[in-house]
Amino acid sequence: MSADATPSIARHSLADRVLRRGPLEAVATTIIAAGVVMLMQPFSLTLYSWSFATTLFGTVMFTFVSKVRE
Amino acid sequence: MIPVPGSVHAMNELSASSRITYRAVRVRPGVARRIRGLSDKTLAWLFITPTIVLLLAINIFPLLWTIYLSFTNYRANRANVPTIWLGADWYQSILTDPDIWAAMQVTAHFVIWTVVIETVLGFGLAYLIDKKFRGHGLWTTIILLPMMLSPAVVGNFWTFLYQPQIGLFNYVVAFFTGRAASSFQMLGDVTLSPWAIVIVDAWMWTPYVMLICLAGLRSIPDYIYEAAEVDRASKWRQFWSITLPMALPFIMLAVLFRAIENFKMFDMVNLLTGGGPGSTTEVASITLKRAAFESWRTGYSSAFAIILFVTVFGLANIYVKALNKVKSR
Amino acid sequence: MTSATAAHSVVEPTATTRRFAGSLVVLYALITMIPLAWIVLTAFKSPDDAISYPPKVMFKPSLEGFCNLFTTRSRQTPEFIRSLGPPQGLCDSIARDRNMVVAGPSNYVPRFINSLIIAFGSTVLAVALGTLSAYGFSRFRVPLKDDLLFFILSTRMMPPIAVAIPIYLMYRTIGLSDTRLGMILLYTSVNVSLAVWLLKGFIDEIPREYEEAAMIDGYTRFQAFVKVVLPQATTGIAATAIFCLIFAWNEYAFAVLLTSGNAQTAPPFIPIIIGEGGQDWPAVAAGTTLFLVPIVVFTVLLRKHLLRGITFGAVRK
Repeated sequence: MSADATPSIARHSLADRVLRRGPLEAVATTIIAAGVVMLMQPFSLTLYSWSFATTLFGTVMFTFVSKVRE
Repeated sequence: MIPVPGSVHAMNELSASSRITYRAVRVRPGVARRIRGLSDKTLAWLFITPTIVLLLAINIFPLLWTIYLSFTNYRANRANVPTIWLGADWYQSILTDPDIWAAMQVTAHFVIWTVVIETVLGFGLAYLIDKKFRGHGLWTTIILLPMMLSPAVVGNFWTFLYQPQIGLFNYVVAFFTGRAASSFQMLGDVTLSPWAIVIVDAWMWTPYVMLICLAGLRSIPDYIYEAAEVDRASKWRQFWSITLPMALPFIMLAVLFRAIENFKMFDMVNLLTGGGPGSTTEVASITLKRAAFESWRTGYSSAFAIILFVTVFGLANIYVKALNKVKSR
Repeated sequence: MTSATAAHSVVEPTATTRRFAGSLVVLYALITMIPLAWIVLTAFKSPDDAISYPPKVMFKPSLEGFCNLFTTRSRQTPEFIRSLGPPQGLCDSIARDRNMVVAGPSNYVPRFINSLIIAFGSTVLAVALGTLSAYGFSRFRVPLKDDLLFFILSTRMMPPIAVAIPIYLMYRTIGLSDTRLGMILLYTSVNVSLAVWLLKGFIDEIPREYEEAAMIDGYTRFQAFVKVVLPQATTGIAATAIFCLIFAWNEYAFAVLLTSGNAQTAPPFIPIIIGEGGQDWPAVAAGTTLFLVPIVVFTVLLRKHLLRGITFGAVRK
């Protein structure tokens, strides 16, 4: 983005800088990975129970996030 | 067609006669298209629609049906029983069932160990093949053979190699360890059978990881190593700070794909152990198959299928991201 | 590097390194070939040699495995066998040595033919659909292109058992269960995703200028596709076709769950070849060997394109 190259970057709010595709995709990826780990970990049945919801949330988030501007 | 910016301007500024010359040399394909034949847009849809329709019919419609069934008590062997809407009951019972949780851990054991072994061996082999010794092309092709075979047939003939009394595998192990060949059963033993399936999968799929790692190693330009030599970096240092980081996207790609494939592994394990002894090798797909095609609990197994599907779909998103990363190299 | 002779010698491995690397790779290749070689050897053993301990590397070759693969036999009394005429053919005489007579052909040949029909049928369909779509995605601006491509790829990633449940119900309803057509359609839908991704990679590499030149010469877009792009993409189409063939040839999960007789392919059949008193290993090995021969040929043909194939066309080198 050309805006980044200019000094105007200082005027961007925090939300503007965080709500971009790269970081959001990374967050979604982490959530999916966490869901998969929760599904297969041998330690806690509670984590296992919540794994599907986590993966589903991560996947849905990933799908939407990939539409966000670069 | 994307019009070349400025070409319209250029055309407007040309005199009538020179415009004719211009068109004779570089007619915009759009012009020819508009005169005769189908427009690009129509053609694009004509070309893509059949594939999409097929996938909708054979993949998406069944998927939606599965989602519907997963909320009902439907049983495929008792189609006449009235279908009752159960809401998310099946999901709740699967996600709180310690037996299914155990199956997921069997799957985890299988996925983690196969991926670790295949990555270490595969990367090692790729590293060696990248040394370009004489005849490396031929030997690479030979090494690649196992991954092209049918997993079912592979599983089947490994049961022969694993036979306790007559199997070659047991004989070789007995030969090197001094134990009697009939003293252990790779497929019938509770502790050994999870490793038996890992060995076969590693035998079959190490070449896959090797091939992708090899591509990664070959994508590293020579000048980086030359620069490192100039800086007097040791070979050891070069490996850790150049070779490995630069091959990493490729390794990730291979790891992700193997993880997805082994997460849903069915054919090989079904033929090697069928999930046994007991349920020690009952990976998720085998549990699913037993529920769906042996107990005929269609609604329940649909819910389980959706859980597995969402997991794979989530991982597939990450895989495609990794794929694009490698593509841009 | 102390020698300043050649600049690239810095990165070229030394002769010793090469020899060391080479011998390790060759060692791995030889070890990894043992199971395969063993199956091929077993195919030519007699049942007694196949289950002897210690395993026999040297043995008297026999075609009994292949005979047992292709025939069904029934046990008869020696008197009855003596009352028959001279044995008809090699397999009959082998069977008679074991007090049996050949009762008829086995199911292996029909299963093998099913495998051929289903593999070729689905490959032709998948490659045809895949070529059209790949060209569409490669050359035109399609709305939601990336999403469609991901959707296409994700269908291939679905767990086969999860897909098999609704397909089983659907085929039962519309009468496609245990039919070749049903299997062809199913394999086509799995293969078409690979075909689209692979062929898109190949078609992307053909310069657009070729078609544009053809269209200036008066071809329509479609004619340009048929007469310019298709000939250029022949290698890619052939490689894709072989990948699709291999998948359909090797597939087991759908075949074992959705077919039982008429449309059953070889992979679910080979493991259930039973002889007298348990599994008839030479016959299983013979069936396996015959089944694997085409794959070995294809692998050698494909070796330059394997990498592309297993990464859905993303890694090209």
